[in-house]
Amino acid sequence: MKRIYWVLLIATATLITVAGCKKLLDRQPLSGSLDDLKSGKLESQVYVMYSHLPWDWGFNLSWIDFHSIRDDDAEKGSNQTDGAEVNTEFDKFVGYTKDDWALNSYWNDHYAVITAANNVLATAKELNATDPATLRNVGEACFFRAYCYFELVKDFGEVPLINFPVLKPTDAIQPKALVPAIYQQIDSDLNVAVQYLPVNSSAYGSGFDGRLTQGAALTLWAQTALFRSDWAKVASLCQQIIGLGQYSLAPNFTDLWKAGPNGAGHNGPESIWETQTVVGQNAATNSAVDHGTMWQTCQGIRQGGASNDWNLGWGWNTPTQQLVDDWDNSDPRKNQTILFSGQSDGGAAEGGYGRTLPPYSASEAGGIARKYWNKKVYSDPAMHAFTGQLTGNADWLGHRILRYADVILMLAEAANETGDGATAEANLELVRARARGGNIAVLPHITFVSQDQMRLAIKNERRWEFAMEGYRFYDLVRWTPATTDTIDAPHILGPLGYQPKNALYPLPQQAIDLSGGVLKQNPNY
Amino acid sequence: MKKNLTIGGSRFHAVKKALLIMKLSFLLILAGALQVSANVNGQIKVSLKLDKVEISKALNTIEKQGTYRFLYNSRLESIRQKIDIDVSNLEIRDVLSQMFKGTDLTYKMLDNNLIVVVSGTLTVQDIKITGKVTGEGGEGLSGASVSLKGTSRGTTTDNTGNFTLTVPENGTIVISSIGFETREIAINSQSVINVKLTTANKVMDQVVVIGYGTVNKRDLTGSIVKIDGKEIADKPNTNPVSSLQSKVAGLYVVNNGTPGKEPDIRIRGTVSIGQVHPLYVVDGIFNDNIDYLNPNDIESIEVLKDPSSLAIFGVRGATGAIVITTKKAKSGQVLVNFNSTYGFKNLVDKIKLTNASQFKTLFAEENANNNVNINIDSAIGIGLNSNTDWIKAVTRTGAQTMNNVSVSATSEKNRFNLGVGYTLDQGIIRHEELQKWLLSFSDEYKLSKGIKVGINFNGSRQKLPYPYGRFVNVLDDARKVVPQISSGTKSFKVRDLYGASTDSITENLYSQLNLGLQTSGVVNPLLYLENEWDKTSDIEYRNVGSVFAEVNFLKNFTWRSTVYADITSSNNRQYVPTYYGYDPLANTPVVYSPTTRVQEDDDTRRKFQQDHVLTFRKSFGDHNVTATAGFTTYYSGVFNRTGKSGQATGPSSLPIPNDPRFWYVNNFFQDPTGTSATSSQSENSTVSELARVLYNYKQKYFFNASFRDDASSRLLPANRHQQFWALGAGWDVSKEAFMNTQKMFDFLKIKGSVGVLGNQTAVQDDGITIIDYPAYPLLNTGSTTVFGNTVYAAATPIYIANPNLKWETVSAQEVGFELSSFQNRLHFEANYYNKTTNNLMTYVNRQQLGLPNELINGGSLRNWGEEFAATWNQKLTNDFSIVVSGNITFLNNKVLKLSDELPTGVLDVTSQNNGEAISETKPGMPIGYFKGYIVTGVFQNQAEIDNSADQSSLGPTARPGDLKYKDISGPDGKLDNKITSDDRTKIGNPTPKYTYGGTIALNYKGLNLSVDVGGVYGNQVYRTWGALESPYQRVNYAAFELKRWHGEGTSNSEPLLSQADRSNYVGSTRSIEDGSYFRIRNMQLGYNLPNSLLSKASIKNLRVFVNVQNLKTWKHNSGYTPEFGGIATQFGYDFATGEIPVVTTFGLNVTF
Repeated sequence: MKRIYWVLLIATATLITVAGCKKLLDRQPLSGSLDDLKSGKLESQVYVMYSHLPWDWGFNLSWIDFHSIRDDDAEKGSNQTDGAEVNTEFDKFVGYTKDDWALNSYWNDHYAVITAANNVLATAKELNATDPATLRNVGEACFFRAYCYFELVKDFGEVPLINFPVLKPTDAIQPKALVPAIYQQIDSDLNVAVQYLPVNSSAYGSGFDGRLTQGAALTLWAQTALFRSDWAKVASLCQQIIGLGQYSLAPNFTDLWKAGPNGAGHNGPESIWETQTVVGQNAATNSAVDHGTMWQTCQGIRQGGASNDWNLGWGWNTPTQQLVDDWDNSDPRKNQTILFSGQSDGGAAEGGYGRTLPPYSASEAGGIARKYWNKKVYSDPAMHAFTGQLTGNADWLGHRILRYADVILMLAEAANETGDGATAEANLELVRARARGGNIAVLPHITFVSQDQMRLAIKNERRWEFAMEGYRFYDLVRWTPATTDTIDAPHILGPLGYQPKNALYPLPQQAIDLSGGVLKQNPNY
Repeated sequence: MKKNLTIGGSRFHAVKKALLIMKLSFLLILAGALQVSANVNGQIKVSLKLDKVEISKALNTIEKQGTYRFLYNSRLESIRQKIDIDVSNLEIRDVLSQMFKGTDLTYKMLDNNLIVVVSGTLTVQDIKITGKVTGEGGEGLSGASVSLKGTSRGTTTDNTGNFTLTVPENGTIVISSIGFETREIAINSQSVINVKLTTANKVMDQVVVIGYGTVNKRDLTGSIVKIDGKEIADKPNTNPVSSLQSKVAGLYVVNNGTPGKEPDIRIRGTVSIGQVHPLYVVDGIFNDNIDYLNPNDIESIEVLKDPSSLAIFGVRGATGAIVITTKKAKSGQVLVNFNSTYGFKNLVDKIKLTNASQFKTLFAEENANNNVNINIDSAIGIGLNSNTDWIKAVTRTGAQTMNNVSVSATSEKNRFNLGVGYTLDQGIIRHEELQKWLLSFSDEYKLSKGIKVGINFNGSRQKLPYPYGRFVNVLDDARKVVPQISSGTKSFKVRDLYGASTDSITENLYSQLNLGLQTSGVVNPLLYLENEWDKTSDIEYRNVGSVFAEVNFLKNFTWRSTVYADITSSNNRQYVPTYYGYDPLANTPVVYSPTTRVQEDDDTRRKFQQDHVLTFRKSFGDHNVTATAGFTTYYSGVFNRTGKSGQATGPSSLPIPNDPRFWYVNNFFQDPTGTSATSSQSENSTVSELARVLYNYKQKYFFNASFRDDASSRLLPANRHQQFWALGAGWDVSKEAFMNTQKMFDFLKIKGSVGVLGNQTAVQDDGITIIDYPAYPLLNTGSTTVFGNTVYAAATPIYIANPNLKWETVSAQEVGFELSSFQNRLHFEANYYNKTTNNLMTYVNRQQLGLPNELINGGSLRNWGEEFAATWNQKLTNDFSIVVSGNITFLNNKVLKLSDELPTGVLDVTSQNNGEAISETKPGMPIGYFKGYIVTGVFQNQAEIDNSADQSSLGPTARPGDLKYKDISGPDGKLDNKITSDDRTKIGNPTPKYTYGGTIALNYKGLNLSVDVGGVYGNQVYRTWGALESPYQRVNYAAFELKRWHGEGTSNSEPLLSQADRSNYVGSTRSIEDGSYFRIRNMQLGYNLPNSLLSKASIKNLRVFVNVQNLKTWKHNSGYTPEFGGIATQFGYDFATGEIPVVTTFGLNVTF
């Protein structure tokens, strides 16, 4: 009989545990999931779009390949073997594998942001709210979608147009949309963005410096109109931006590239939109205060055989001999844009820090592998000391994506094309005057003589002002065929191997494969 | 001697009894003297048919048959009782039992077939019995268990098989020994009992442990392979699973030379694209690994492979199960066992690299190839003139020792076993060392006849070689460094980085590299290894225990409840010191590691499990039924915290001192603003019901059915429950009457089973990180955005929520047969298996669509093949026996589809150099096949290039000396005379066509020699080194690059030297090597010292042995080893690591 008690005891214990099973099985994550975001759901999804900018290759290393290395003024840089495939694909316009990191990440990362934007818009619709904050968020999403489609349409021409939330992956398999349809989407998105985005980021509340504004949407819109040679629209949009009264050219050209907590260029008066970073003291060992970007890391001086304190990055996107040769020494921006191996960095006047670069050495034995480096990402030793990042990543230096000087020069160009020589002359002078830095001996004022003369002057000005910043390739493409001068893609890039088909880049093979053949490769690739 | 002897009257009872005893003693002595006959009593059969006769008359009749004689007191009343008897050809014991049934008569059997019949009212006395247990050839069996039936009183035999035991004269003893059939013998007052055991080489007579019970292997309808713990204990592997390599058909083990590192194990192929390792069940508790077990504590390991034995594990069953039973005390007196091995490890099959002069030649040639006009000595570095063998510089002879003491004791009510072990296992890489302390304890107590309770505990303390991920690339780093760099140290006068401001101390510094030549990603491994190896501490405590209660009731029922806990806590600390290297060109000291910092990781893992199992066992005539029903829950939680701190920056900041006292996040020296902490945690649980019926009819026809319902916390309630089942059937053909006339088969059984098993694999796209909440997508914790100077968390889900998720199911079938033949010398087993994984949890790359990965059910995968295993067991003479066994497994794997939603999706896992090394998983192809270009040769001249497909998409214009690739397709699937990404195809398969293993064991008296061999055939290895070097790293050349093309006709396989010719660095057949190998896995020579020597020292057993593991490997690839594991969808990569050393051990095993 005693055994029966044992059986009862165990059976009871079992029943108690069985009864507790429901509780045992209902488990939710021990940290936040999307479902836990109630009021902040929309806002934190908006942040997702921004969060792609600092570290995605598609907005950094690959971005540089597409935007800068393809032109005549910049080359891959680094050393001979590093990224040799980029030499052939982006510098020499031959040998497209259609399946490599640069192309894949550029495509994928842009579509990832488009997906994030589509999700924000879907959530906003679901919330059905019309409060200013929600509308601002809608404006941000529209901006991001337009930004990405503008880059895709410039680079690939026809691409799939995904302007809806993808609920199942097959929905995202779409044939290529025609270029006008893509621009139609861009225009409509930017129209919404301009309406909803605030004039100043302070409208978001304090602590949101650098967040998207109406000015950013107008600038992007102007760029898209410029690429389509819609001069009247460019002029009108630029005038609107100026009318906002939010921006001015930074008095000192070198200030633009000064970053860090107190860097003059960080969200400075000329900055319309830039990748935001904050890298605090001792960030080297404290990841909690390290929120940088890889923008500078891609481009900073590559150590090669030099000492550790010259390990400032991977050394991509360096000035070509062509740029150095073409650029008049009298333009102060030349020494403010280019670092010369084996020479002084020029000190504060030229945006340097009083250091002397290691000598050039093709084999990197005891020196660095390039003769010239991009000074617009030259990092401040004081910031290296402050952050403890003594070598490598100056990851506080963010990408100045949209800056006011472009608005001024876009206006100059559009005015000139629409026959308003005076406005063209005045705006061109604004940029040259700032570059001159008070030294009247250099960069003389250019008086309007003729539309052709002014067009060439503006084309040249864009080359010097934006050198290494990734404008020129698209400028050369859109100036094709050039009307009177020979500043266009076939003339300038032809000698480097450029052919008409190279105005567009081939689509990633992976995307074509995944679509099961719905996507078609661009012509002649 | 008269036939009937009558003695005295009842009045003289005492006297008579004394007399009787005297006579019996005399007889016993006589019997002892005559025991040479060694004929066990009662073996001559008796036939008898009598109606209504007195027992005495019946005895008389038996005596007349001539064999047996009886001695009894004729005044006993019961001797006159009348009985009916009708027996034919029965043993005398059985005849007497029948005759005496219902009477108080008992009997004692003496030697020479003299049987004493007495009345049961006589007191039963304890007598001392002695005897010898022998095997079939008469050899003494040591360590055999001899126990009194129904009690825990018992002993084990000594080295020569002899035993002594005090038992009641009417008791029965049970004699058992592993590998032999257990026998029961009634004592019947015999004082000498010699027993010959028959070999259970009839493998099917083993008792095997299955889920929630044990079963005789004969009753199974599936494939379970049992491995005796002895096979594991004396092998030099700290992880017991490693010792299973090549032992079991269907079990594929890829070992790893790093001490303590988990081998890659797959049972019957790769059944998932997520988790593929088998389930481990240790004394009932479910586990993912068994590295906390002492190999010496393992009684047996069972490998479960077929649906009928795996369905009971439900959602954990699809990947197969490895069931481990740890040692428990056996009946016997106090046993103390001590064993110790000591050994050493040597690196063999070192990869071959160029030496200093070869490097110089090749590097000069490479520069010339690219028109780089540079003085070669200055390029390498003036003054760098060492000729270092870097692999040698970072390796050593490793030591290994394993020591264990165990004590076991039993009493009537209690069985107890205690073991303690210490293991030191050094890797062949300098400073790599694992230390383990192991403790095992089990105790079982009988509260009453039907109630048992017990406890089981395994504890370990492991000091792991390095904190996770530290220094794992030492060998790869070593092979990269050019030989001109010195591996030695140089003395410099330097400033003490921890204090002084002037150059006050002298330190021996390791060299940096020539930074002009070797920059990013290349480092002198000795520089960090020698400075940092002892600045880390990684200690893991693991406690695995269970308590149980078992109740037998209503004769046929057993209820067993067990509660398990498995609690691990580990603390992992890393201190990065500040130290110098020296610049080998300038010959000056350089601060290599400028700042000090500390990182601490605390990990707690908790698992709880409870099993409540009811078993019913009964025979209804010829119908035998064992039914089991159970309820079980499982919980697992993982909690991790990481803290980091570093010294403050700035001129006045102090380094964190180089003293373990300060290797904590808060150490006073840390920068107060530079301290950070993070954590990660997750939990999951399952609640399950299970049932199983095993049935057989006359041990001839077997059926079984099992079922399990699993409810998992990982799924939402709608899909939470999932059911798994299996049916099995078997037919022992040899039991059929028509088989009686044949001599060919001693045993022949045909069997088959079908079932549906589950796999709750859900991993992130790294193939490793388990997803505990697929319905609630976690957010990337690191995903932030910044505005101004403020940081905001961005809510990016790691994956998309999938409320409809279900577990993968594996629909499995097996058919097979097993047979014994040639007087049971041969045992042979053959199986065909087929497994189709459905609802594959896919995590297909959709980045091209801008989408994150989503865990979905879709797709299927098939694994099928055959297994054969054979054993030949033969005694050649009494002293000499031989066992030969072998197994072979054929493996086939095919992905049927990957995703219902996105049929065009493929799963690429890439590594190395911009993703040129691709493992692709794609419908119609085997899982994780290698993808790349096919090399058809090397362009010998420009004419050949002009006549070949255009390769410009792969890199700069081709030139003579570049690899020539095969045009196999184009954008439209047609040849386009261009080499593009369309021309990549399957260039290798990491899954072998077959794996095999074998053993030969020879026993001669106390000496035994065994040789284990094994290998695989038909797979490929993807060698990334010497072929896919990163474009921006200058590394030492592989020796095979000496055979490079350097002019027309010089080579048609190795291209010219030029890292700039990127077309030669794309993933291609150049990287693919034959992965087949054959290895002598273990060779062991052992000697059991003769008892004559040992008995004086009261030693029961003493064995000495020497074992050599991985004695020799015949392989075809250039790596250290041909075996490389990985995750389900990416394995078989040779990253210039994976050394498998030769391990030589000397061992001693003593039992007192």
